Amino acid sequence: MNTIIVSALLGVVMMFSGIFTANKTAIRNVAIVALLVLLGVNIAATYGCCNLNIDVKNMLEFSKFGMFFNSIAIFSTLMYLVLSGSDIVKVGDNAAEYFAIIFFVLCGVSVLSAYNSLLMLFLGVEIMTIPLYILTGSDKKNLKSNEASLKYFLMGSFSTGIMLMGIALMYGVNGNFGIAFDVPAAGSPLQNYGILLPLGLLFIFVSMAFKVSAAPFHFWTPDVYDGAPSVFTSFMATIVKAAGFIAFIKLFETHYFQLQASWKMILPLVIIATLFIGNITAVFQQSVKRMLAYSSIAQAGFMLFALYSNNSFSKEGILLYSAAYSLATIGVFAILIKMKDYTFEGYNGLAKTQPVLAAANTIFLLSLAGIPLTAGFFAKYYMLTSVLQSHNGFIMVIIAVLFAAVSVYYYFRVIQSMYFKQGDAETSAISSGFKYGLIFLAALIILLGIMPNVLLQYLYF
Amino acid sequence: MNLIQILFWLLSGLAIVSALMVLISKNPVHSVLWLIVVFFAISGHYILLNAQFLAIVNLIVYAGAIMVLFLFVIMLMNLGKESDPQKNVWIKLAGAISGGSLLIVLVSLVKQASEINDKEALLGNGNIGLIGTLGKVLFTDFVVPFEISSVLFLSAMVGAVVIGKK
Repeated sequence: MNTIIVSALLGVVMMFSGIFTANKTAIRNVAIVALLVLLGVNIAATYGCCNLNIDVKNMLEFSKFGMFFNSIAIFSTLMYLVLSGSDIVKVGDNAAEYFAIIFFVLCGVSVLSAYNSLLMLFLGVEIMTIPLYILTGSDKKNLKSNEASLKYFLMGSFSTGIMLMGIALMYGVNGNFGIAFDVPAAGSPLQNYGILLPLGLLFIFVSMAFKVSAAPFHFWTPDVYDGAPSVFTSFMATIVKAAGFIAFIKLFETHYFQLQASWKMILPLVIIATLFIGNITAVFQQSVKRMLAYSSIAQAGFMLFALYSNNSFSKEGILLYSAAYSLATIGVFAILIKMKDYTFEGYNGLAKTQPVLAAANTIFLLSLAGIPLTAGFFAKYYMLTSVLQSHNGFIMVIIAVLFAAVSVYYYFRVIQSMYFKQGDAETSAISSGFKYGLIFLAALIILLGIMPNVLLQYLYF
Repeated sequence: MNLIQILFWLLSGLAIVSALMVLISKNPVHSVLWLIVVFFAISGHYILLNAQFLAIVNLIVYAGAIMVLFLFVIMLMNLGKESDPQKNVWIKLAGAISGGSLLIVLVSLVKQASEINDKEALLGNGNIGLIGTLGKVLFTDFVVPFEISSVLFLSAMVGAVVIGKK
């Protein structure tokens, strides 16, 4: 509860910071300090310190898992602001509002990691996505940004409508908004309406799949990620997407076994379609930004394995995956923002002009591809092992490994451009602080790749 | 025939007549205005059923916000002048058939529902639709979502300002 309240309050603080100073660097620094405060509050709340005693009527349930995910999300946002904060203030004149919106999104993330009722799920999803429509359209003079924002808004509202329909159906059978329900017993007046439960859950599934951009509900992703200002794409593709998965998992671990028969086919089909479309389409992209948009669809396919296997191993895995994926993607985007040219050719010869950037980018891309000694390897390893543990799903694992091999192709194309092609990649001015930030992030990814327990042990004490 | 029954028939007649006028009017702006009358008549029914909250929300959301949106769309698409209705007879036929099928489904549903046969609607009593009851639930059982939705509205307002500012 503390995290939810404090993040909302800090959002208000950020909003007002714009009144007192016009200095955008100062506003950015305030935001970084505020995030540190939020991280401290969340960690304190995780260990039961200073919790506000609020009767939440069982609508929120603060588990160690959810709180720990909050910490990961807040830490990722912190790294994001440290690396890309100076680019956020360049997007437009409303720097303070952008930071405020980021805090509101974090409020939504902490609602989603703790919800215990469909009402809170709906509120969390909305608090998380409505600010994103604004961030997408924040580059007001750019037509592509406007187009992306409108598209995202229309399709997002539509998927929210589908979610509401699902919630209404489940409420109709259940009589309350709780996420745990019993299939109506024989003889009860509701037994003829038992079909509404899987139907309602299917509607919510469709809507959540849209939010995490799983195929076949992914059509908005490339356009929106490509059209939005790059700094905000970085935020949308990482923290927000990971939070969507945490919400997804919470819903499914409650219902999975009850409705297993209904899900047995849908989920594998969605996973394979997501992996296929994400990976294969990413191969053909010319722009690195668009390639990353498709790669984020492909990574969503891997994260969906956590839903499919649904055991304790996959819960650890999704935490590791969201940390590894978020940090690496934030790093890749932070470098992308500095590039003058977003195509693969734009990276030609980056290793000569900016060796530190090229080396860090290589580590991030290796992690995204899942090469050993980087965090991405263990993230994928956990996901696939969890599938083997609970389903014996050999075919799924083989398909996933094949697509991971495909993903190596397009990630390595960037590395190839940076190291083995002639050219002089142009970047905007790079401060030494940015370089140290990148080095720290790369070191963190390698540390997680060697010892994933550094992260996961906190789940248990 | 007591007062409530008189009101009921009056409102029903008004709703049906104005709903017909929505369809008959050639001018789209007149259609929208008649639609507002329909919503007012339906809100009157809600009040007869002692559902104040629904009545008010129906007025605010439908007659207020959504109708303004309709009018804006009509203005922006420049449909203000009398436009010819679609001439294609097949489309008209398809519309009539699908609308008629929906009517049959609804009527048969009402006829089959044994729970509501031989029962009168609760007119003027029952407190489930009162604003006071709703407020009590909202501020006791659902106070957490109620408060958290304020964050949603705040961020939406910030967004409106960010998008709307020059």
